[in-house]
Amino acid sequence: MIKAENLKKTYPGKVPTPALKGVTFEIQRGEFVAVMGRSGSGKSTLLHQLGLLDRPTGGKLFINKKDVIALSDEEKTKFRLSQLGYVFQEYALIAEFSALENVYLPSMALKGIPDKERAAELLRLVGLGDRLDHYPSELSGGEQQRVAIARALINNPIALLADEPTANLDSTSAKTVLSLFKRLNKDLKQTIVMVTHEPEDKKYVHRVIWLSDGLLEAISKSHSQA
Amino acid sequence: MIGSRLISTISMRDIKTALFIAYKSVVRGSKSTLALLVFILALSYLNMMFISGILSGLQKMFETTMIDVLTSHITVGPEQEPQPKQFIVNQDQVRQEIQSVPGVIATARHYNLAGSITFDKDKNGVVKSVSGTIVGIDPNQEKEVLTVNKLLKDGQFLSPEDTDQIVLSSALAGGYGIPAPSDLGGVRVGDKVQITYSNGIIKTYTVKGIYDDTLGIFETFISAREAESVLNVFNNASQILVKVDLSRGTLAGYENDIKALLPTLKVQNYLDILGTVAAFMNALNLISFIVSAISVLVASITIFVIVYINAINKSRQIGILKAIGIRQRIIILSYVFQSFFFAICGTLAGAFLVFGILTPLLARYPINVDFGYLSLNHRSVEVIAGTISLIAAGILAGFVPSRIVAKKDILKAIWG
Repeated sequence: MIKAENLKKTYPGKVPTPALKGVTFEIQRGEFVAVMGRSGSGKSTLLHQLGLLDRPTGGKLFINKKDVIALSDEEKTKFRLSQLGYVFQEYALIAEFSALENVYLPSMALKGIPDKERAAELLRLVGLGDRLDHYPSELSGGEQQRVAIARALINNPIALLADEPTANLDSTSAKTVLSLFKRLNKDLKQTIVMVTHEPEDKKYVHRVIWLSDGLLEAISKSHSQA
Repeated sequence: MIGSRLISTISMRDIKTALFIAYKSVVRGSKSTLALLVFILALSYLNMMFISGILSGLQKMFETTMIDVLTSHITVGPEQEPQPKQFIVNQDQVRQEIQSVPGVIATARHYNLAGSITFDKDKNGVVKSVSGTIVGIDPNQEKEVLTVNKLLKDGQFLSPEDTDQIVLSSALAGGYGIPAPSDLGGVRVGDKVQITYSNGIIKTYTVKGIYDDTLGIFETFISAREAESVLNVFNNASQILVKVDLSRGTLAGYENDIKALLPTLKVQNYLDILGTVAAFMNALNLISFIVSAISVLVASITIFVIVYINAINKSRQIGILKAIGIRQRIIILSYVFQSFFFAICGTLAGAFLVFGILTPLLARYPINVDFGYLSLNHRSVEVIAGTISLIAAGILAGFVPSRIVAKKDILKAIWG
């Protein structure tokens, strides 16, 4: 479902910095994949390319058989809205919107009408049924991240992309979020690609894509799913 | 071009989403930013309307004063073709015809004489002399058309029977604190002055009244009866002043009606007569326009800066919105809606200050500017144009900075 062929990204500058030096892999529908590696290995850069937040400098990327690199900016925005869900490390909620509003905003942009029922259902799914009208400032970090996950799911994305979603959370909240991902993957067959630097997160995923210095080091199967 | 491209691709879905984002940003956003923007816009509106209102008020006051004191609305003069005549003959008949035009309130005849006025203050043979226009008037008619009789500083106005009395300009009399190129050195009511008319006749008059001549019209009034004796004419007039009801017709309409009635006479409206003064009033219009344009520009730049800073501060939020798939045009549109809201609030607040407080206040307590009382006068076209331009400038000033920020790369917007 996600197919990267020799994907490259070099950041321009006086001295151009290659962050991805040609990465090739495939992710199947319904998989829960972790992208791991040391700091500076290109994990987040890779996820930015998969999330169409950045433009690769080389290679090919297909999502659902669509050559997404060839899309215009406008088409990429539409693709992000309708096909992808993205969860940032720092929650990335809109401060002026309540939890419910944060979640249904993408549905409004897609369909013209806010899907409040689904938004409320998703918030209940992530365990925030009693926090619908709370604003981000009234929620804990873990709760905010769960709102961000609910928002990422509102338009039924084909893939959920999460960039170190537990990095800013305490261990209990991190466990809740990872368990939630596992449940979404298991119950809803949601494809998830998660960047993480925590070795113990391996137990939640099917496979791990190991990056090192912008190159694919290995792809390993996880043998101990929680 | 960018704006029209943006508008052409906006759907109802985009508008709804942008409105929602704008609404939430205003309701949940910084109240101090909102208050500051509304305050600045209100002040800009106040500045624009106050300056244009005061200039328009000045113009109106000046115009009204000239109409009331000097020209009335329309002036009818003697025949000019084939030979210019000195007088309108049978003025009674002519005035009756003019007064038959619907909407004409009153008429008054004037005799215009040239002469030199001399005053021997200390009665020692040392005299001061000034040249000027001596106007023969029918005091009863005059009171119906002009208001010089209400401007008396000292003494009384003329009566129709007065033949040896005059009413002098305070500027010519001297000693009233009004600067004049030359004056008579301090004439007071009861003093005797001598007038040497251009036809050689010399007569002595007692000063019956002195009128406030802040405007500097420098006219000296005698009765029409006395003027006829000096000029040796009867039932003539140098000009007939016509006062009309402008609520019942236009100045041009009255002018045309009178021209149709009296095709051989010279009919002019007060704007034709004022000449350079009309040019001065046009200059006031231009100043008013420039000041309004500067106000709009200042308001636009202010909104631009505030919206830009606001958008820069929210660049992370803009990046997040783009990252989750909210189209750039929706984000820009949401800022345009916010700016529109700010502009409407600022304009309403400004309109309240101008029309709810300042205008009624100055109408009740007008500013005394020597030659009249000044209050705010708002021309509807200026108010509409000013309001629309301020709102349009507000929208544009919201569009440009939000577009600059919304065009930023997603990751740069989020992480700086």
